[in-house]
Amino acid sequence: MSRDLRELLRLMAPYRWRYLGGVAALLLTDLLQLIIPQLLGRVADDLEAGRLDLAGIGRYAGWIAVTAVAIAGLRWVWRQLVFGSARRVEYDLRRRLFAHLQKLTPEFYHRHKTGDLMALATNDVQAVRSAAGEGVLMGADAILLSTATLVVMLTQVDWRLVLLGLSPLPLLALFALWFGRVMHERHRRVQEVFGDLSEVVQESAAGIRVVKAFAQEQAQIDRFTRENRRYQETYLRMARVHALIDPLINLLAGLGFFVILGYGSTLVLAGRVSLGDLVAFNSYLGMMVWPMLAFGFVINIIQRGTAAVRRLREVFQQAPTVADAPDAQPLPQVRGEIEVRDLTFRYRSDLPPALEGVSFHIRPGETLGIIGRTGSGKSTLANLLVRLWDPPQGTVFIDGKDICTVRLRDLRQAIAYVPQEAFLFSMTIAENIAFDAREHSLEEIRAAAALAQVDSDIMSFPRGYDTLLGERGVTLSGGQRQRVGIARALMRQAPILILDDCLSAVDAATEARLLQELKGIMAGRTTIIISHRVAAVAHADQILVLDQGRVVERGRHDELLERRGLYWQLYQLQQLEAAIAAEA
Amino acid sequence: MSQDFHQEEVLERPFDPRLMRRLLAYARPYWPMFLLSILLLVGVAAAELARPYLIKVAIDEHLRGWAQKDPAARQAATAAVWRLAFLLLGLQVAGFALGYGQSYLLQATSQRIIFQIRQDLFRHLQWLSLSFFDRNPVGRLVTRVTNDTEALNEMYTSVMVNLFRDLFTIVGILVVMVRMDLRLTLVSLAAAPLVALSGYLFERYSRQAWREVRARLSRINAFLAEHIHGMAVVQIFGREGREQEAFDRVNTDYLRASMRQLHIFAIFRPVVSFLSHLATALLVWYGGRAVLDAEIPLGTLVAFTSYIRSLFGPVEQLAEKFNILQQAMASSERIFSLMDEVPAVQDKPGAIEVGRLRGAVEFDHVWFAYEGENWVLKDVSFRVEPGQTVAFVGHTGAGKSSIMNLVARFYDVQRGAVRIDGIDVREMTQESLRRNLAVVLQDVFLFSGDIASNIRLGNTALDDEAVVAAARAVGADAFIQRLPGGYRAPVVERGATLSHGQRQLICFARALAFDPAILILDEATASIDSETERQIQEALKVLSRGRTTLIVAHRLSTIQHADRIFVLHKGQIRESGTHQELLAKKGIYYKLWQLQNAEVRTA
Repeated sequence: MSRDLRELLRLMAPYRWRYLGGVAALLLTDLLQLIIPQLLGRVADDLEAGRLDLAGIGRYAGWIAVTAVAIAGLRWVWRQLVFGSARRVEYDLRRRLFAHLQKLTPEFYHRHKTGDLMALATNDVQAVRSAAGEGVLMGADAILLSTATLVVMLTQVDWRLVLLGLSPLPLLALFALWFGRVMHERHRRVQEVFGDLSEVVQESAAGIRVVKAFAQEQAQIDRFTRENRRYQETYLRMARVHALIDPLINLLAGLGFFVILGYGSTLVLAGRVSLGDLVAFNSYLGMMVWPMLAFGFVINIIQRGTAAVRRLREVFQQAPTVADAPDAQPLPQVRGEIEVRDLTFRYRSDLPPALEGVSFHIRPGETLGIIGRTGSGKSTLANLLVRLWDPPQGTVFIDGKDICTVRLRDLRQAIAYVPQEAFLFSMTIAENIAFDAREHSLEEIRAAAALAQVDSDIMSFPRGYDTLLGERGVTLSGGQRQRVGIARALMRQAPILILDDCLSAVDAATEARLLQELKGIMAGRTTIIISHRVAAVAHADQILVLDQGRVVERGRHDELLERRGLYWQLYQLQQLEAAIAAEA
Repeated sequence: MSQDFHQEEVLERPFDPRLMRRLLAYARPYWPMFLLSILLLVGVAAAELARPYLIKVAIDEHLRGWAQKDPAARQAATAAVWRLAFLLLGLQVAGFALGYGQSYLLQATSQRIIFQIRQDLFRHLQWLSLSFFDRNPVGRLVTRVTNDTEALNEMYTSVMVNLFRDLFTIVGILVVMVRMDLRLTLVSLAAAPLVALSGYLFERYSRQAWREVRARLSRINAFLAEHIHGMAVVQIFGREGREQEAFDRVNTDYLRASMRQLHIFAIFRPVVSFLSHLATALLVWYGGRAVLDAEIPLGTLVAFTSYIRSLFGPVEQLAEKFNILQQAMASSERIFSLMDEVPAVQDKPGAIEVGRLRGAVEFDHVWFAYEGENWVLKDVSFRVEPGQTVAFVGHTGAGKSSIMNLVARFYDVQRGAVRIDGIDVREMTQESLRRNLAVVLQDVFLFSGDIASNIRLGNTALDDEAVVAAARAVGADAFIQRLPGGYRAPVVERGATLSHGQRQLICFARALAFDPAILILDEATASIDSETERQIQEALKVLSRGRTTLIVAHRLSTIQHADRIFVLHKGQIRESGTHQELLAKKGIYYKLWQLQNAEVRTA
């Protein structure tokens, strides 16, 4: 048994008793189903032989009715047990996947595209559920039903008749196997092309101004026509296979009936088989069609399930790259002294260093400004301080302790971090601001929002702090988002504040006001302001100018201007840039 | 993106003959196909029906009094049953060929119809005016053109023809049954209404449950996608525990919905099979007595037990068809209401096909509102001479972009007139007007394809050299050459891999390649680094040479060299003149300028 299949079974193991019960119910159902044709055959035989009276007929009819009730009840039971378990397996797996994803670091998310991870959480989890549900059911059913039918047939009906009548049926299994594969592939293609088609409509609607401005309507229509035609062709490629299913099943099963009618009748006429046998076999044969198809389908389902398990395992096997060391130290009462010693960092060993030989020292309560162009390594520094990536041992210290040796939770608790992209979640504004492990009162939340200059914006929404953000709610402007992001960080009351280029989307006037407001907060804290704007760092106690991962200049604002170096150049350029109209 | 959000609630609609007529009108050109399909179906159904019947004939006519003692009679009977067997085989093969042909023919026809509906819909959409696109989110339009049309597929394949098949099968079985025995037929039918009813109820409940499951699943997926994106934030704020709880909630919601759906299936499926078994029991009870009384032959009873199962299948499916029909009604209503949408801006009958314009733009007492009486422009008048560069400045909502929209005639003015070269834009065909324009928008828009196709757009007259020349002229050539693949480099996700400045330069190249008489530029508000800004200014100089250029400016520093600057305030032109003249006036422009300079100083 392959490793993937074993793993699949392990996922199902917690529900083994339900599965067993389900399969038992299934077995009973299948057996009972065999009884009905047999009863019908007996009725025929008894009637023919004149052995049956009115009461006898009533008895037969009664038995059929009782069997029918039992079948219906058992079917309900196995559906609940087997399919219900499969849905629980799906639930467990998805839960485990999310829990694991929460442990993985940005390094992992850089290597794996969101789309791929989503495919894992949807398609692959679904494939496991199918294997644990339909796969188990069809597999068990196919085995039980075909064995039982075969046994009953052989004991009741002449074996020659059985052998010949069944001979075309394995073709059904082969057909089902082939059909499942080809359809899966072609259906996937159809969905892809459908996606392309949607994309054309999406694009031409979103870009309608450009389309109209350049009088491109006809060109768009031509493009759509091409995709539309391609979709039609792809769809029909699938239809060509799909159209086979019913007719071919009928034909293959029909071959069996041909054998019964010809050869079976001959045997009856020769007196070797009873007419009742023939009638019963006629019904049994119909019952073999499904298990044969099921054999084919089930192989496909299990294969897809094990492939999914394999892909999921690859993710489950990823260990988080940033985690507490076994002997991690607590970090109580942080004063806020930060020291970086000769820090060189590469995202991957085959990449050039993102930071090279960076050193600085911030005393508690001081403000450090870091400025540089895009790609100069500013954000890397911030990422290392909160240990989204681990810096090399012995390079970054808080209150004299190497951050690699302290507890992750304590470290992050000590830092209020405002990331470059203010990522907000689809929840209310209040929940976004109080995005913390603790509970907060609305007053606290409003106070933080007021400091971040976003309280009045929020109060202008009809639902205020209960306004829902995201797809099903309100879309904030870039500047509002960033300010909510700042409020969120301020909620932490942490001794260290890191602002990672978080004001890029607010206009200069708001930025100036915000920094003015934040001064009060920064006074008692160690603050690192990262920006590409001179204005944002001008008042800092110490400014580092980063270029290509290296500190090229350092000092205070006026000192740096006097040096007429990169800082001064940036300042000159940005005076022009500062003229960007803040819509007055 | 937010496609699911725009899914309308109404998914079913009662039968509407008006909509049905329009749906059928699309099918009309294909009536021979449908007819052929129905004929094939008759063949298929006949072949299917023949099987139990042939077995009945074999039993009643040849196998009765089986184990023939007389060798001659036995031989004759054997030969006869073999003849029947081969007849059966022949019918099965024929049934296969006909069945396959029918099924494929139907799909092919249906896809052709849907192809046509989609074509018509998209074509119509392309010619609708901007005011329509302002009102309708993109996701909704995508759903119309793709999903709603696809929903009709089932209508054309299942309902149009298979309805005939089901009816035909039912009628066929009934005829055969009645011919054999009327009373047994009535007994067999006893459970049919129950089957139909439970089929109908099941369809209703299961669709509801299914919708619920899908809605919950898409919530899980949205949650996951969002958290994968924002995982760093979750971790920095130590929220893993609470997010796991939140995830468990949506996951549990989904499990519950999924279990509900399972319940519905687990009840319904057994019930239907139970009903058909019950009918069989009834038949045995009643038919057995009839056989006993020698009222019917045994073969008839046996045949009836087979027919019962063939009968209940189509009865159950009739209920399903009814539901498909209701859904098709809902989809087609949305499709046709979109098709009935009238473009707000239309070419007049006998509109002028203008050639190359000189580029004199005139606003003559223009009043304009996007809706009702919310005037965005109030009595605006100005003239721009051919070849001039003019700029419009003012607050957001002052009406700057609206002026651009009116020059391109994306909307029609309510009062007054917009004239180019002295001709009212409403007198020209839209196409010939816009062939004289090039527009560079704030949010630069790139289409999927490659760089060259984005510069060329659909203008096949532009060869590669012209494309490269345009790119070189605006200074885009250098970075394009550096891209892997150069001008053939694919543009993915609207050009997300390119910087904003690069995208802007590509749009400049596009505008230059079209060599318009009038260039309309809506300056980007997003901050661009100083280096790119310089490049863009250089490019703009090249671009505006020898043509009328209208700029919506957000940075006063970029328009100092304009021939004329118009200051818009609350929908009116309050000041106009050159940069120096306006500064000297010490009015709104002067204040704007002061403010921006003040910001430079605080920096």
